[in-house]
Amino acid sequence: LLARGKGGDEVLESDLPRAVALLKNLQEQVMAVTAQIQALTKKVQARTYPTEKGLSLLEVKDQLLLMYLMDLSHLILDKASGGSLQGHAAVLRLVEIRTVLEKIRPLDQKLKYQIDKLVKTAVTGSLSENDPLRFKPHPSNMMSKLSSEDEEDEAEEGQSGAAGKKSANGAVKKYVPPRLVPVHYDETEAEREKKRLERAKRRALSSSVIRELKEQYSDAPEEIRDARHPHVTRQSQEDQHRINYEESMMVRLSVSKREKGRRKRANVMSSQLHSLTHFSDISALTGETPHLDEDQNPIKKRKKIPKKGRKKKGFRRRR
Amino acid sequence: MNDTGTIWTRKFMTNRLLQRKQIVIDVLHPGKATAPKTEIWKKQAKIYMTTPDAIFVFGFRTHFGGGKTIGFGMIYDSLDYEKKNDPKHRLVRHGLYEKTSRKQRKEHKNRRKKKVGRSAMAKVGAAKNEL
Repeated sequence: LLARGKGGDEVLESDLPRAVALLKNLQEQVMAVTAQIQALTKKVQARTYPTEKGLSLLEVKDQLLLMYLMDLSHLILDKASGGSLQGHAAVLRLVEIRTVLEKIRPLDQKLKYQIDKLVKTAVTGSLSENDPLRFKPHPSNMMSKLSSEDEEDEAEEGQSGAAGKKSANGAVKKYVPPRLVPVHYDETEAEREKKRLERAKRRALSSSVIRELKEQYSDAPEEIRDARHPHVTRQSQEDQHRINYEESMMVRLSVSKREKGRRKRANVMSSQLHSLTHFSDISALTGETPHLDEDQNPIKKRKKIPKKGRKKKGFRRRR
Repeated sequence: MNDTGTIWTRKFMTNRLLQRKQIVIDVLHPGKATAPKTEIWKKQAKIYMTTPDAIFVFGFRTHFGGGKTIGFGMIYDSLDYEKKNDPKHRLVRHGLYEKTSRKQRKEHKNRRKKKVGRSAMAKVGAAKNEL
């Protein structure tokens, strides 16, 4: 700047007083800056800025961005006054700062939620009750307070995001597996009937009779899917399962009496002619009494069989 | 070949752990009675070019209505492996193992219990289990 001042002096005599004023200004500013830096150094040496725990991420980011800006403006100045950027020290510094900033970015992402919350608090002053940002785990909700835990915990669990598991309280009790969503059970006979009717209705809706009616009246093109066996019954599926097991394990399984009875019943039912006219049960929709299909058992109480007979765990399917 | 009908093998698997090959055998014999096991056994031995000793066939079930029978077969690498890995009841069918009757074994054990002490009996029992 001194050189420029001299050049200005030589070229334009009228600029001389202004140049002198500028220089004086510059000198004052430099002195002020020096004083400040000296004060800062003294402070640092007096350990007023403790860094045992490291700098906070936000501070680091601030400082890095500032340094970046300074270096960038330095470069612009040099380029504007005709210098070359080749091997400029500022370029290296810029690269370094840029790398560090990019490495910090994932940390930044992780902190984003917290920072947003803080900013929001600072801006609005308080948070609303149903703020979706309030998803902090509440361990106090996981403790069961009294025997009537359902209502309280349910209400509080609705607030916090994750449903907490309830642990059994204190004293030595039999281990009860935790239920994730407590639901009160009081299904009456009427409700059970209603549920059964609903299930039957759903099944009837997807039966072949209704499907054919739908096809008849809809405008959609006719779909041809891969034709599975039309009379696939539960018994035939079980037989297929058994055959697959036997061939892969290279053993022959014994057929229990119950199984034999089921098979015989399936054969008898399918060989009778009444299945010609009763191929699907839509009584749920028409309101007539339902008639039993060949693979449905009449509702009767089963005697509890001793567990000894059930040896082949690999094959046995739950009935 | 045509006496027993057509024989197909399915699901061929080489079981290296037990040194054998496992197959599922389909025998088609429409209009005839089920082929006896021994005939199928001999045929399989010829096909796989081993001695009949190293092959086992078992588990033949005829489908309802006749005409098709499905069974299993095991082809061992050698007789030694067969004796080691195959279950005893199948070895008995080939005459490679003589199973002492159950009564005999229990009597033998009880006789030995009287003569020898309990700890020695335990040792003998362990040795017998290894066999």
